[in-house]
Amino acid sequence: MIEKDHIQPIIAAYLSGKATDKERCELEEWVKQSPDNNHYFQEMRNVWQVMNPAFNPSEIDVFAAEKNIFVNIAATKRNITRTILLYWQRAAAILVIPLLILCAFLYLDKDSSRDTIEYQEVKSPHGTFSEVRLPDGTNVWLNGGSSLRYPLAFRKGERNVFLNGEGYFEVHSDKENPFIVKTDQMTLRATGTAFNIEAYNIDSITAVTMVSGKIDVAFGNSSPVTMVPGERVSFNNQSRECLIAKTDPYKWYAWKDGLMIFRDDPLSYVFKRLGLTFNVNIELKDSALANSPYRATFEYESLDEILRLLKMSAPLSFKQNKRVKDKDNIYEKQTIEVYKAK
Amino acid sequence: MGKLDKQQEYFVMSALRQDSKEAFSLLFQTYYTDLVLFCGNFVKDKDSCEDIVQSIFLKLWNDRKNIQIEISLKSYLLKAVRNSCLDEFRHIEIVRQYETEYGSSVLDNYDTENYILYSDLYAHLSRALEKIPDLYKEAFVLNRFEGLKYREIAEKLNVSERTVEVRVSKTLDLLRKQLKDFFVFLISIGIP
Repeated sequence: MIEKDHIQPIIAAYLSGKATDKERCELEEWVKQSPDNNHYFQEMRNVWQVMNPAFNPSEIDVFAAEKNIFVNIAATKRNITRTILLYWQRAAAILVIPLLILCAFLYLDKDSSRDTIEYQEVKSPHGTFSEVRLPDGTNVWLNGGSSLRYPLAFRKGERNVFLNGEGYFEVHSDKENPFIVKTDQMTLRATGTAFNIEAYNIDSITAVTMVSGKIDVAFGNSSPVTMVPGERVSFNNQSRECLIAKTDPYKWYAWKDGLMIFRDDPLSYVFKRLGLTFNVNIELKDSALANSPYRATFEYESLDEILRLLKMSAPLSFKQNKRVKDKDNIYEKQTIEVYKAK
Repeated sequence: MGKLDKQQEYFVMSALRQDSKEAFSLLFQTYYTDLVLFCGNFVKDKDSCEDIVQSIFLKLWNDRKNIQIEISLKSYLLKAVRNSCLDEFRHIEIVRQYETEYGSSVLDNYDTENYILYSDLYAHLSRALEKIPDLYKEAFVLNRFEGLKYREIAEKLNVSERTVEVRVSKTLDLLRKQLKDFFVFLISIGIP
């Protein structure tokens, strides 16, 4: 048997964490040898532990801890009460629902319109634009081929309208009831501002141009972006890419004054624009033309006139295809092919 | 804070079974600090230790109707802390090797029933100190509890360093006698 004088330094080394593996094994063997040894070791360790506490005991706040635990106890109890309440609420609901239905039947005739919102829809024919005044005083211009759905009367809290196509909004200022425009791909929130939205569902781009004020725009499920005047944000409906650029805003909503402004815009954009406004497919047959910059301002012109002016100012030629009927006997969109003039 | 004797513990536990918050509060205040310090032997983060001990008390309250204390409440609580720490280790998945080693060695066994808590030690120590003349005690307290060096104590008390040394060792001698029956080995490493 190893004497205590020998094991003592090993225990001390073990307790202070300095024991080697060999010493540790030796200590283990010694502790296993007899219950007395085990008892001795445990007492030594006990003394060491209480003499060298891991934390300063005065830093342990018993009262704060007790307060905390009573809060926890109260929280658990409340949960139980809530479960019981929930049960009774359900039971009550089961009894109340038939009663409600009965009441609803009795009152339906009198009050049928109170809780449903009636919507009105305005459409602007291709090749022209129209102006709408909403019940809250907001003015909306709808570009050709666009439609706006809005409630006959706005309810408190939110002014929701739905747009397909292009619209220029001058929102009547009302901070408490934000004005919300929804399109297929976007939700825009404004109070009192002016902005232009391009959201033709046949186009691959949804875009907003800020004229004045402040708005938040959210595309798809993304979080809202705040826009300031002079910014144009465009969102690619397919790639979900979002691009913000500085711009001269008037260029983007000049259509409401009967103007079509192009400022060094690529021809591909000019034809896309014309196609959306006049409901025609304009196909660029010469890819070299697509990026040629074009500069022009058209004022209240028809498509034919614009094409004539384009032909005069750029080396282009057009081939207007005959319109064909689809299987429902309806004429399909006209297609115009664009070639480089020889 | 003194620990409860067997009879007090019996009364407190039966009060607890009858939903007495006072009984719960008494138990909490009696054991909380000691259990956190005991926990500190296994888990080195103070906040984690406090969380562990609070969960044990929360469980004690929630199970108060059915709780069976076999040996003593102290033993029950210490075992609960130890088991929670082992669980904690499994939870944080400390190095596997350590996990398998930990708790399986004879060196990790705890006789929880006879474990001396931190407050037990200090209760005895302060009781023992009370019986020691102030003249000797002063130097000892400054040295052991306030961490002053012999030289600093000598300056403070305006005596020689040698005198301080004598007084401290005299106090140790007296403490040894006082604590002998309480803790045989206290002296061997605790107070060298």
